[in-house]
Amino acid sequence: MNWAVAIAALLIAAAFDAGFGSVLSIGPLRGQLLPAVVVFALLSAPRRSALRLAMIAGLIADLLAPVVLPNAGPLQDVLVVPGPRVLGFALGALAVLQLRSLLYRQNPLSGALATAVFSILVAVSFVFLWSLRGVLYDQGTPWSPASGASEIWLRLFSALGDGLVALPALWLLGKTRPLWGFTVASRVVPGMARQGT
Amino acid sequence: MDPRNLIRFLQGRRLDGALALAALLLALLPATWLLPWTGDLARLLSAPLAPVTHAGIYLRDRVRPPRESFDPRSPEALALGQEIARYQSLYEQARLELEQSQRSLEALRAVRARIGSAGGAESQLIEASVIAGDASRPLGVLLLNAGERHGVRAGSAALVGSDLFAGVIAKDVGRFSSSLIPSARLSSIGVRLYPAEGSDPRQPVAAYPGAVLKPTGTGTFTAAVATTMPLAPGMIARLADDRYGRAALGSRVGVVLSVEPVDEAPNARKIVVQPLVDFGELASVIIVSDGAASAAEGEVR
Repeated sequence: MNWAVAIAALLIAAAFDAGFGSVLSIGPLRGQLLPAVVVFALLSAPRRSALRLAMIAGLIADLLAPVVLPNAGPLQDVLVVPGPRVLGFALGALAVLQLRSLLYRQNPLSGALATAVFSILVAVSFVFLWSLRGVLYDQGTPWSPASGASEIWLRLFSALGDGLVALPALWLLGKTRPLWGFTVASRVVPGMARQGT
Repeated sequence: MDPRNLIRFLQGRRLDGALALAALLLALLPATWLLPWTGDLARLLSAPLAPVTHAGIYLRDRVRPPRESFDPRSPEALALGQEIARYQSLYEQARLELEQSQRSLEALRAVRARIGSAGGAESQLIEASVIAGDASRPLGVLLLNAGERHGVRAGSAALVGSDLFAGVIAKDVGRFSSSLIPSARLSSIGVRLYPAEGSDPRQPVAAYPGAVLKPTGTGTFTAAVATTMPLAPGMIARLADDRYGRAALGSRVGVVLSVEPVDEAPNARKIVVQPLVDFGELASVIIVSDGAASAAEGEVR
């Protein structure tokens, strides 16, 4: 896999989500491009590289999403926590890597489904880790004062949006496949070679 | 260390486990350990992303133009409307300042000092563009392309369109960038509720109900207002909280969406207020930096 192209694609996707992302939202259904890019790599890249790329994507997402620290005064601080999405993306990546042998890759719906599953696992992991932080340090969460359950519900809608965005995104990314440098290994089955007539 | 061992480690499965463990550790570190360095790291990452984000914002404005573009009124009438809104805000600001002065006779000297600098030359206006933000939520913290070098101070109020209160600058102001906490994420905002057509100059400020807005987490505010005065949907909530700087006093925070009785307290009513700023569509803000005096003094971007 061409790492320079992969990381550039992640950064462009993250910036695109920040600038253009609000157009891709209908009510609570909010689609993002970054999960689609990660899933595209997960479906084609070698297992280990794909997992590490997903963790880098999680780190980018974490760094671009500071949260407000609860404070009674007017001077409020924001905190960047690198980690919750890194682990979420890794968990999602492991699930998609397990799924990919079952998916029929020529079907565009399978990519969208994989993206939605990926986003759901990212959401669950993200909410779990932030809830854990909240319990450990009696600190606010990114969804405060709403509840974690409502955040999960909101992110389930977002996962649906991510799946929808993945439909055109994966098709477009497929056109750039030669740039990514994925190696294709074909399995050699032992036995007699078939002879043409 | 033998380079071959390092390469073997980098290619091995142990690195994945080590990375995951490091991520878990970082995710659970206390805020005091993360605050000194993670903000800088985020700013470092957001700098190269700014051109792509700006291109995305440009594209977004092309695909979905700002709502004003659909306004059928002429540009002159629109400009006049904005002027009226601005002067109305200035008027409300002056009235709120007067009311506060009267309440604080004991601290007259301090109040006089404050009045001496009201809206004066020490206030610096800084225009800043949004360069990054949390794409997964519409109310996330926004990164702005103005920092200490431009005169931005922590706690400065940020306005949109001259009199809409957008939020407050967070503590971690960098040299060239800063973070904006949207008003809908602030822990509390003191406001006064006025009719949409404005206040009656013959009535004292105290005739209009005050409220402390609390965020609901879904993009709106809620407050329990203990008053016998009439409350109705459509009323305008104006900032009456001097924690956010004098220049922001009287700016519009939101509009009352609903008024409901509170069963436990017959005199109180619960209001829901919708912010007037659409944070998902925010492209730039004006930061009002009170008393800014830096190397970049006078530099208005």
